[in-house]
Amino acid sequence: MEDLQQFKQTYFEESGEFLGVAETGLLRLTPGNADMEEINAIFRAVHSIKGGGGAFGFSDLVAFAHEFETVMDGVRNGTIAITDELVDTLIRSNDVLGQLLAHARDGTRPPAGFAGQIVASLKNFAASAIQEDADVEELYAPSPAVTAAATGGATAADGRRTYSVRFRPKADLLLTGNDPTFMLRALKALGDAEIECDIGGLPTLAHLEPELIYLQWLVTVTTAKNTSDIQDIFEFVSDESLVEIAEHSAESPASAASKAEAKPPAAAAASKAGAAPPAVYATEAAASATAAKPTAGRSSAQSEGGHANLGNHTIRVDLDKIDRLVNMVGEMVITQAMVAEHVRDLPQGEFQELLEGLEQLAQHTRELRESVMSIRAQPVGSVFSRMPRLVRELATATGKDVSLVTSGENTEVDKTVVENLVDPLTHMIRNSIDHGLESPDTREATGKPRTGTVHLSAAHRSGRIVIEVADDGKGIDRPRVMQKAVEKGLVQAGATLSDEEIDNLIFLPGFSTADKISNISGRGVGMDVVRRNITSLGGRIGVYSTPGQGSRFILSLPLTLAVLDGMVISVGAERFVLPLTNIIESLRPKIADLHGLVNKCDVMMARGEYIRLVYLHALFGIPGAITDATKGLVVLVETEDGGRLGLVVDEVLGQQQVVIKSLESNYRRLDGVAAATILGDGRVALILDVAGLQEMSQHGGSASSVAQRQVTAASPQPHVM
Amino acid sequence: MSKDEENNVALIKWSEDEGRVKLGLPSDLDLAMAQPLLDSLRHAFAIGDTIEILADGVERVSTACVQALLVASRTATESRQTFAIVGPSAPFADACSDLGLSDWLKQWRRS
Repeated sequence: MEDLQQFKQTYFEESGEFLGVAETGLLRLTPGNADMEEINAIFRAVHSIKGGGGAFGFSDLVAFAHEFETVMDGVRNGTIAITDELVDTLIRSNDVLGQLLAHARDGTRPPAGFAGQIVASLKNFAASAIQEDADVEELYAPSPAVTAAATGGATAADGRRTYSVRFRPKADLLLTGNDPTFMLRALKALGDAEIECDIGGLPTLAHLEPELIYLQWLVTVTTAKNTSDIQDIFEFVSDESLVEIAEHSAESPASAASKAEAKPPAAAAASKAGAAPPAVYATEAAASATAAKPTAGRSSAQSEGGHANLGNHTIRVDLDKIDRLVNMVGEMVITQAMVAEHVRDLPQGEFQELLEGLEQLAQHTRELRESVMSIRAQPVGSVFSRMPRLVRELATATGKDVSLVTSGENTEVDKTVVENLVDPLTHMIRNSIDHGLESPDTREATGKPRTGTVHLSAAHRSGRIVIEVADDGKGIDRPRVMQKAVEKGLVQAGATLSDEEIDNLIFLPGFSTADKISNISGRGVGMDVVRRNITSLGGRIGVYSTPGQGSRFILSLPLTLAVLDGMVISVGAERFVLPLTNIIESLRPKIADLHGLVNKCDVMMARGEYIRLVYLHALFGIPGAITDATKGLVVLVETEDGGRLGLVVDEVLGQQQVVIKSLESNYRRLDGVAAATILGDGRVALILDVAGLQEMSQHGGSASSVAQRQVTAASPQPHVM
Repeated sequence: MSKDEENNVALIKWSEDEGRVKLGLPSDLDLAMAQPLLDSLRHAFAIGDTIEILADGVERVSTACVQALLVASRTATESRQTFAIVGPSAPFADACSDLGLSDWLKQWRRS
């Protein structure tokens, strides 16, 4: 039973991937653009979901998938014409399939009449192609097997069983006078067989040895015969070839495999029958653009080396297990830091070997950390791939022509970050299309192409991932934003704000709630929510807009939410950690470098530039700290958008790798603080958020520092020094 | 089965017209034909833009020869050359079906 659960689990995971593949394909499907490769991929995806569903007895799911598949089959045969209406129906069918999968997973039944309308449309489309379909059925002998399962578990009733047979002939099988065709035909003769050929091991034309076999097969056969009958077929080749037979009856697909222990991959592969490649490989499969059958895609990711085992290159691991591993590595990093701290107290020049050993340990810990992080890393493409759907819907809803361009899909980032990107990106794209892009007519009138473009890109930059959503719309309507902000009391009337400051007003909470989505002018619907989400991930968001030419939203996020390289600083008795990526340098300013701006802030001249000083002790109300920058230290930091600040601290204690512990989940969000950590000596230290500090010093939080300065600096300049 | 001797390599029935190469498959595509077929395909891809495989006369086909055509189709995709299997005979289509390659044939066939 446990086995069965495990296979079900695998089935649902794979089905999720197939749904994604199908959706991606369907979204690219337009009347003028019928890519056979894509259509085949969609067909295979649906077919696989149906096949596996049949094996588990999900009758509602199978019945629906069958209708869906029938129409897809018509599409790929060319007997059903691709129209917008068809594509819409298919996309909705994919959604329905997803819902049915959810019902199957939860063990619930869909309500009566569920998706009746969609089924009716599918049947209509299918009816238009029935005649032409007949000969296709012949060509695809395998489908009756699945159909049998689909029509209510006939396979179980008549005592037939389904086997997965994997056959990898020895490379020189042909030279012995044998031919795989003989075995495959014999398998077909046993019952209903679906044969998939894996062409992933094929070399190039230049390297092909014509008399060697590079192919392998996965056959799903439903038959009244037993395992030994199947084994007999391979009797003459089994010594040299790999033959694996796994059995699953309709009721209990995972049980009683002839080599059950060793077979999960094969059995799982069986549920993939006709499978499309997993999403990750989809691009590669499309690129190779060769093959007929799904296993091809799967193996195209396997290397050109030839006869690699199917499915042995990846394993599925429960995320919890990885999280535990990450956590443990985190603890190890802390322990390592702790040991390093104690070692510092050892007498100089002694215990050389111990010190060397610890140095190595530190290095290995770092490598271990990176390896573990890379396990969790996922390409952002998995989020990007959801966006075409959104764009399509929004384009329809708003009546605008929109084209979505994506780049940098392969940029990898921690899984948690990827998951948390969906909402902000959805919001930003919605915002860009709803408020940024003009209607086609307006665009034409201003000399732009009728189709607006939204460009979604990702890249790694200085240890962070930077994601950009750019549109070529009208840009932020600054006067309108300003007017709104004044109306809302967010900005004083008559205040002079730089363009950048005005643009950033759209992130203010009060700003967004006033403007409903339907309102055309003024961007900023829910952008405060976006910013809050991004900030909670330790990220930042900025907007750059050029009137008439469009806007760019740039968000930068840490690559991982688990570990960070930081600089430990002290202010009074408190310790803080500054992310290393933010730090430019630290210095002790001379009196002549410091200047006070009346009722504003203190600035420091550093490298020919005035930099605003932020007194951490004042910002956080820490007693006993050094208040004079010339006696303490100024750490120059830079935010992702290039803004610079000078943080006045007592001391810089040293660099350390720290494990990030979320403040939000353990306590609550604090301004200017990104997270917390445990230092080597066991003390808790806050990890500072530089951009947050900048904001605090400019807006709310600045009151305290200004007030504090006003006390100490009644006459501004001289006192500061 | 007709063969041309060209460049010291045994090639199968062959014609070329302004970058359009036609290869006529012999009726018996057994294992022994795999090497000549491969040589012909290599030659065809080296000189032609469009490679058409005339498969209407095929009566028997070995896996080795189907495999060579599979590799050729993949080469065509990669090198953006045009490749087609013209009028495949029923035995040829059956063999593809037996090998789980019906979809592949469907993709590349031309009547």
